[in-house]
Amino acid sequence: MIKLDHVTKTYKNGTIALDDVSLEIEKGEFVFLVGSSGSGKTTFLRLLLREELPDRGTIWEAGRDIVNLPKWRVPYLRRNLGCVFQDFRLLQNKTVFENVAFALEVIGRPKSVIESQVPQVLDLVGLSHKRDNLPTELSGGEQQRVAIARAFVNRPLILLADEPTGNLDPKISEGIMSLLDRINKTGTTVVMATHDKALVDRMRLRVIELDRGHLIRDQQRGVYGIETDSGAQR
Amino acid sequence: MASFSQYVVKETTTNLWRNRVTTVAAIFTVMVSLFLVGGSLILGQGASNAEIKWQQGTLVTVWMAPNATSQEINAIRSQLDSFPYVHDCYYQTQLQDYEEAKHLLTATEFSVLKPEAIPSSIRCIPNQPQDAQLVIKKFTGQPGVLIPTAPTQALKNQQRTIAIAQWSVLIIASVLLVSSAVLILNTIRMAIFARKREVAVMKLVGATNWFIRVPFIFEGLLQGLIGSLMAGGLLWAGEWFWHSKSVNWAPDTLGSQMLLTSWQLVWCELVVIFLGMVIGSIGSAIAIRRFLDV
Ligand SMILES: Nc1ncnc2c1ncn2[C@@H]1O[C@H](COP(=O)(O)OP(=O)(O)O)[C@@H](O)[C@H]1O
Ligand SMILES: [Mg+2]
Repeated sequence: MIKLDHVTKTYKNGTIALDDVSLEIEKGEFVFLVGSSGSGKTTFLRLLLREELPDRGTIWEAGRDIVNLPKWRVPYLRRNLGCVFQDFRLLQNKTVFENVAFALEVIGRPKSVIESQVPQVLDLVGLSHKRDNLPTELSGGEQQRVAIARAFVNRPLILLADEPTGNLDPKISEGIMSLLDRINKTGTTVVMATHDKALVDRMRLRVIELDRGHLIRDQQRGVYGIETDSGAQR
Repeated sequence: MASFSQYVVKETTTNLWRNRVTTVAAIFTVMVSLFLVGGSLILGQGASNAEIKWQQGTLVTVWMAPNATSQEINAIRSQLDSFPYVHDCYYQTQLQDYEEAKHLLTATEFSVLKPEAIPSSIRCIPNQPQDAQLVIKKFTGQPGVLIPTAPTQALKNQQRTIAIAQWSVLIIASVLLVSSAVLILNTIRMAIFARKREVAVMKLVGATNWFIRVPFIFEGLLQGLIGSLMAGGLLWAGEWFWHSKSVNWAPDTLGSQMLLTSWQLVWCELVVIFLGMVIGSIGSAIAIRRFLDV
């Protein structure tokens, strides 16, 4: 589903954010991406979203070489990807329903599809009763659920999450985690960058660790990190 | 597609309303500049209408010396008849010219004139007004000829005045046209900034570049269009006012000679509306290129 082959990413200011990273993620896998701040997790996800291009190496996603994908095809690639961020990125002037509907609206889905899909996905994230509320009227956990609903409403093949629980307290994070787990169970590949040690240790899923741009660990049924790795933990 | 057009209409009206003050400023500038452009078009069209009317009425006159012999007069007449640039030549005797002078001059002036001191004349219609110059060149200094004349200088002066007026209006108009494009650019820029977060989400969920751009393009186009329609309305009202006044004017005044036909007016209006849409598109195209990173 996702394959990186000797991928290196250098930013314009000379920072090497990813250095010669190769890995493969199968369809339906759930992968934690861990590493201290600045280790390159966000860069990794941005490459998968094709918000950035690597200077070397190739990236395949859903059978396509996305590095050499022509620019006009990028939107069509992104329709197969859902993404969720630490800061939710909801539109403040739209209701819960409108925020989720927006994702379908702007890719030209007809009203009938919107009217059947949005309530379904709101039901999945448990927010049917708040469909007409504005984001400001929701808790952080609820806002993240809306963001997940928006990412998932178009049934993407891959869901990318960049520290989705970074702003939430542990109890709420558990809820978000189990929601992502449920989404993964529908066959969606999930890649989640996180700092949340408790979560990672409890789930015992595949863990990929980055350190200053290097892939230093790729472990099935892994844990957050070796206990001496203090910088990453809070 | 129905949902797309609904979406564009919804987004455009939201944007226009959000930036209503700058939008109104942009629309009014478009209106004023296109009103001037249209005015200059109408002026130009009017000038060429007047020129055609003048051409139809222009005569070239070869005044014969009062003491010219009839052989000399006949020689000039037959020369003119064989001349390909003129047609419909006729001879006015001294007595006929004397009668004409009676209408043209005041009574006191006329009282000192004597028929035998008045030159007789041969008058022809030139095929083209500039052909009158050929006649003047050809007959100046010929035996028996006093002086050949044509009212070309007066015509030239009037045309010059109109042309100067037309160009000044056009220069002012083009400065204003540029400013209105800049104002439209600015409203689109503000709309883009106001929707930064939305645009970011749109890109993330896979909206195509055109889908993101179209509401902004449409917004600029609409501002240009509304401004040009208002300018068109003003021009139409102005023409109508001119027409209604001109019924009291003599047909040989410049004002009535310049009057536009309905088709000419429609043509000017179409040019104005087209220009309005061009300005709107240019303004939004530049704003999109510079500020919308898609
Ligand atoms: N747009 C950018 N321009 C320059 N350097 C960047 C940019 N984004 C990230 N970096 C640098 O790249 C490295 C990796 O950053 P990032 O991928 O955000 O790490 P993480 O998400 O693991 O904290 C860091 O050193 C960061 O400072
Ligand atoms: Mg990060």
